[in-house]
Amino acid sequence: MAYNYSNINDYDVLVIGGGIAGIEAALNLAYQGYKVILVEKDLSIGGKMIHLSKVFPTLDCAACITTPKVSETARHPNIKIYTYSEIKDIEKLGERYFTATLVQKPRYVTDACTGCQLCEEKCPVVVEDEYQWGLVGRKAAYIPFSIANPRIAAIDIENCTFCGLCEKVCAAGAIDFTQEEKRSTIVVKSIIIATGFNLFQSERLSYYGAGKFKNLLTSMQMERQLVPTRPYNNVLRPKDGKVPDRIAYVLCVGSRDKSLGNPICSQVCCMYSIKQAQLLMGALPMADVTIYYIDIRAFGKGFDEFYKQGVGMGVNFVKGKIANISEKENGDLILRYEDIDSGVLKEATHDLVVLSVGILTNPDFEKLFKTTPLLKDDYGYVRQVSELLSPSKTSIDGVFVAGTASGPMDIPDSILSAGAASTEASVYMKGGAS
Amino acid sequence: MGKTVDIIKEKRVVSQEVKDKIKSFNKIKKEILKCLEAGQKTIPQISAELNLPAETVTYNLMTLLKYNQIAVGEIDDMDEYYYYNLKQ
Ligand SMILES: Cc1cc2nc3c(=O)[nH]c(=O)nc-3n(C[C@H](O)[C@H](O)[C@H](O)COP(=O)(O)OP(=O)(O)OC[C@H]3O[C@@H](n4cnc5c(N)ncnc54)[C@H](O)[C@@H]3O)c2cc1C
Ligand code: SF4
Ligand code: SF4
Repeated sequence: MAYNYSNINDYDVLVIGGGIAGIEAALNLAYQGYKVILVEKDLSIGGKMIHLSKVFPTLDCAACITTPKVSETARHPNIKIYTYSEIKDIEKLGERYFTATLVQKPRYVTDACTGCQLCEEKCPVVVEDEYQWGLVGRKAAYIPFSIANPRIAAIDIENCTFCGLCEKVCAAGAIDFTQEEKRSTIVVKSIIIATGFNLFQSERLSYYGAGKFKNLLTSMQMERQLVPTRPYNNVLRPKDGKVPDRIAYVLCVGSRDKSLGNPICSQVCCMYSIKQAQLLMGALPMADVTIYYIDIRAFGKGFDEFYKQGVGMGVNFVKGKIANISEKENGDLILRYEDIDSGVLKEATHDLVVLSVGILTNPDFEKLFKTTPLLKDDYGYVRQVSELLSPSKTSIDGVFVAGTASGPMDIPDSILSAGAASTEASVYMKGGAS
Repeated sequence: MGKTVDIIKEKRVVSQEVKDKIKSFNKIKKEILKCLEAGQKTIPQISAELNLPAETVTYNLMTLLKYNQIAVGEIDDMDEYYYYNLKQ
């Protein structure tokens, strides 16, 4: 591979993935004086956390915690961020270096964008807004979401009609349809994989009717309904805009199920469901909220107290395994479930149902390396070769893993894991153990 | 700054699916805005009047709300459905 040796001193560490784990690792290394390149495939850094409502068990506002960290990362002189970019063909170069190809996709908007959203206002195309998980539309010229970083518009070229209105109204002259994909070679001394997790696709469970029944939401859609920048004016049913008053949660959707290829617990679904139930009781004081569970796994600090707080607030907990869901003409949903304690099959009607979807591996890391593959564990996550003693160590010397790329975990654990990965990378770069 | 859109226009074609999406959104948008000219309405009322599925009305109405073409009114007497108005 041809590469430019002058790049060798440009960066010390490549961090792949700009979620909370990636930005934490990048900041730790940057403050130690290392030059960091942070590559994020989405239009903004912040990962899943930036889209959450509040966080368990403290109920702190997720955006209020994420935004300052995201800004600190963006402003740090030792961190260079590439959003809407990907890494390919990583190879070891000698004993202590890696080369990789950086692919920058065109967003058709330059850094001159002021985020004024005039282009968005004028654009005639409406498609599903992926940042609101399809509950509402967005334009083909769009700022991804209000607290996106960078707050620069992008053109969804696949859905653009090339009417030119955005370019016409942009006073900053920021729209540039001549942009093309750019590829360059980078050389670094160490790499941190922080590519995060994927959510279980509930459509796979036809017996729940996901994707078919409009009043069946995923937990991520409910997170969006609970934030101030929500898709609707309140928590409402997508089917008809009704304020729901009998809401149900189905836990362990796509988790702890060998037949779905995911036998492990997702670690966060019990707690985020209890969090959402408490927030719903605040937003809709008249609503009944029922959580159907197999076990409540409240294993962390303050988690059991958080669960009890939910019980105290009136959240109804039913130990029941959902067999199937059907829809009534008015959009209400009938849950058929086995009452685990009595073994009896029962039915209950709810007007909104939330599927607490599980966490799955994001297999992207498998495609990053050109010659020597990064090994995965039995569940498809990045293999931790010394899980107990050096949890961020991977199968390749100098490559470390942070956050949910190594397995399901919550935000505090993702941050701790990023701390471990950045420390190990630092030691490695100083010539210590890999 | 010149019009860079003319350059990309020569290289790419707009799919029929995209054309259909615009047509459909514009048609529904026009119908919803017209329906609200007579005064505030709930989603089921708009749906019944336009003979459109309520979920289609919800999605498109909420998109119009996001882009500031609609305002939210009071909730109905049963505390079930909000009324929506044209933005003044
Ligand atoms: C509904 C829901 C509610 C939750 N609520 C809470 C809560 O209240 N409290 C709590 O502690 N935890 C909560 N969690 C868990 C929390 O979201 C995770 O712990 C946290 O987001 C993990 O951060 P991460 O950086 O490891 O992964 P992610 O947030 O997934 O970030 C990974 C980043 O990497 C990027 N990326 C992926 N692939 C590539 C690639 N190939 N190249 C470049 N970039 C890439 C992604 O775009 C993303 O930005 C919740 C999870 C869900 C699903
Ligand atoms: S691209 Fe131009 S019109 Fe669009 S948000 Fe940026 S500055 Fe405003
Ligand atoms: S050129 Fe494309 S992105 Fe710009 S306003 Fe027209 S449809 Fe929207």
